[in-house]
Amino acid sequence: MKHLKPINQKAGRIEAQIVREQLDVVGLESAPPTGPHIPMGCSLVFAPGWEVDSSGGTAGLCQPVERDLFDCHLACFWPAHVPDQLNHAQDWTGRCAAAQKDWRKIDLVFP
Amino acid sequence: MTQRVHFASLAIVSALGITVLAASRLEPPVPGMTLANEHGTSSFGVGDEGYPIDNETVIAQCERCHEQDEQGRMSRISFERKTPEGWQTSIRRMVALNNVRLEPAEAREVVRYLSNRQGLAPEELEPGRFEVERRLIDYDYQGDDNVEFTCIQCHSMGRVITQRRTQEEWALLLATHRGLYPLADRQGFRYGGFAGEQGDDDDNRQPMDIAIDHLSEAFPLETPEWSAWSASMRPPRLAGTWALAGFETGKGRVFGTIEIVAGNTPDEFTTSAEYTYAESGESIRSTGQAVTYTGYQWRGRSNRGDDGELREVMMVDREWQGMDGRWFTGAYDEFGIDVELMRTRGEAVLTGVHPRALRAGAGATEVRLYGANLPTDASPTDFDFGLGVKVESVTDVSPSVLTLRAYVEETAMIGGRDLFLAGANLTDAVRIHDGVDRIEVSPDWGMARVGGATNFPKGYQAFDAIGWDNGPDGQANTVDDLNLGRITATWSMEEYTATFDDDDIAYVGELGPDGIFTPAEDGPNLNRKGSRNNVGDVWVVATHAGPEAKANNPLRARAHLIVTVPLYLKFDPWQSGFMPGRLVP
Repeated sequence: MKHLKPINQKAGRIEAQIVREQLDVVGLESAPPTGPHIPMGCSLVFAPGWEVDSSGGTAGLCQPVERDLFDCHLACFWPAHVPDQLNHAQDWTGRCAAAQKDWRKIDLVFP
Repeated sequence: MTQRVHFASLAIVSALGITVLAASRLEPPVPGMTLANEHGTSSFGVGDEGYPIDNETVIAQCERCHEQDEQGRMSRISFERKTPEGWQTSIRRMVALNNVRLEPAEAREVVRYLSNRQGLAPEELEPGRFEVERRLIDYDYQGDDNVEFTCIQCHSMGRVITQRRTQEEWALLLATHRGLYPLADRQGFRYGGFAGEQGDDDDNRQPMDIAIDHLSEAFPLETPEWSAWSASMRPPRLAGTWALAGFETGKGRVFGTIEIVAGNTPDEFTTSAEYTYAESGESIRSTGQAVTYTGYQWRGRSNRGDDGELREVMMVDREWQGMDGRWFTGAYDEFGIDVELMRTRGEAVLTGVHPRALRAGAGATEVRLYGANLPTDASPTDFDFGLGVKVESVTDVSPSVLTLRAYVEETAMIGGRDLFLAGANLTDAVRIHDGVDRIEVSPDWGMARVGGATNFPKGYQAFDAIGWDNGPDGQANTVDDLNLGRITATWSMEEYTATFDDDDIAYVGELGPDGIFTPAEDGPNLNRKGSRNNVGDVWVVATHAGPEAKANNPLRARAHLIVTVPLYLKFDPWQSGFMPGRLVP
C-alpha cells in the first residue's frame, strides 16, 4: 500500500483516517488508556443519550439538539433535561414555533 | 408566583439577614432538634413505622393534603427521611405543582424541622455525599445493577441513595414518577411490556417492582444508624477559629483560616474566612452564613466580593474537631474547592507546605509553611523534615505562614516526609523525589456544556497536570509511586477520532493556558456540516518539558473531554439570579 497514492478524495479521507487511528497511541509515560468515560448522571443508557451516545461520545447525538427538542418536551422523553408539557412549564414552546429557527427564545426552566 | 418559588429556593440557606447577638441570651429553639429524643425511632415497634410530626408550621402548611393520624403521623411525609436538599426539592415541587403558598421563613422552618427529625445519619449520607457536594464522578452503585439501570436513565443514583423510606413509600415514589412522567413507564419502569419479558427468566417481576423490593430492603425507613444518631443528635457548637486547607482543580492548593461565630439560634453561624492560593498567591476574603442540619450537615454560602458566591456543603465530624466537604460555584457547580477545616485552640496547627514536591539535590529552595498560630520566633533548627532536608533560615514570618529557606541534599531519600515543629506535626508534608517520570491529566475525563449565546450558561471543565515519580522501585503505576502534585504544563487539544473527517476540535471551544476549558456557544452552527451544535469529543493534552523531567522529555498525558448540549431544565439551582431563566410555572 505504501507505493500507492489514492487519487480520489474519499480514498484520501480513508487513508487520513487510518493514519489518525495509528497515531492515536498513548505514550508509555502515561497510565494505560482506559477508554472513553461516560459521566455520571442522566440518561446514559438511551441510544443516543442526552449528554453522550451509546458509545460514550457525541458523534451519535441528535444534532443539532434544537431540531428535535420539542419532541423531547411533549410527554417528556427526557424528564430530567427538558421541561415537560404535562406538569412543568406547559407553555415552554409558546414563544418559539420552531426551535431550530427561534432557539434563542428557548427558556431555561427551574422547576 | 415567581416570588413564592424563589422563597423556597432560599430555604437551605436560612441564615440570610442574621445579625449577630451578644453571647449571653436565651437561645430560641431549633425546629425539630429540641424534641428529637422524645420521639426517637426506638419508641416505635416493628410495623408501627412513621414519625409523628409536632411542628405547627409543617402541620399548618401540609395538612390540607397530608392527613395526620391519631399518632400524629402525616401521610407520606412521616414515612421518609432525606437530606435538606431532598426536603427542599419536595417543597419546591409542592409549590410548583400543588399550589402550596409558603413564606420564606416558613419554608426554612419546614426544611429545618424535617431535616433534623427525619434526616440521615452520617454513615447513611457518606456514600451519597457526591450528590449534595455536586461532584461529577463516575459512581457505580454496587447494590443492584438492574435497579441502578432503572434509576439512572433519568437521574443520578445519588438522589436515590440519599433517601430512606418504607416499602409502601418507595412504591408511592415510583407511582409518583409514573404519574408525573408517563414515558418513564416505558423507559425504565415497565419497558411497555409484560412482566418477565426482560432479563432473568426466573424473575418475572417488572423493573419497577424489582426496584421497590430492593430499595425498601437497602434503604428502609428505620435503621440502627439513624436510631443511634438521632438519640445523640444536637446542634454542633462550632464557634471558634478553624484552619483551612483545600484543593481546587485548575488553581491548586489553598490555605487559610475561617472564623465561625454563633448566630441567632444554636444551628446558625456566621463566618469570615481568609485564604490564599499557594501557587498564585491570590488572596481571598469572604464572609458568609451557614446552618447546620441533622447535627452535622453544614450548609452555607460565602460571599467573596467580586469573585461571587460559593455554596458550602460540609460534614462536621462527630467530635466537632473537623469538617470537610466542598465549596462550589458555576452554572453546573463545576468549580469548587475540596475543603478541610481543623479546629484550633491557640496551639500551632500545620496545614501544608508549598511547594510540596522537592527534588533531591535541589539545594537551597524557598518553601512556605501554612497553618494557624505558627510560632513566629521559631529558629531553623526547630523545623524537623527528617534526614537530608534542613532549614537554613526563616525569612518571613506571620502566624499563618512561615517562609523558609530549605536545603535538600543530593543524598536525601525519596519519599513523603513528615514535619515536626513546636509540638505540632504534619504527615507527608513534603515529598522528596528524584525527577518526574510521568505526568497525568486529572480528571482523566471531563464534561463541558456549550452555552452563553442566550439563556443557557456555559459549563466549564478544569484540568490539572499531575507529576509522578515512579518511586524507589522505578516502576510506573505501583504502590510506591509519588504524587508530586500539580506541575507546569502547556495545554493543547487533539481530535478524538470518532467519525470520518472528524472536525470537533475546530468548534468545541478553547483550552486556556491554565488547563481550563471554555466551551463554545450553544445553538446550531450554520458553518458546520448539518448545522450541528458546537459539541464534540477531544483529547485534552498536557505537555511538560522541564529540567525535572527524566526520560521521554517532554512528558505528555491526555484526558477525554466531552463537550455536549445544555440542560434545559435545572432541578437544583442554588444561586438565584446567577443565570437567566424562568421559574416554573
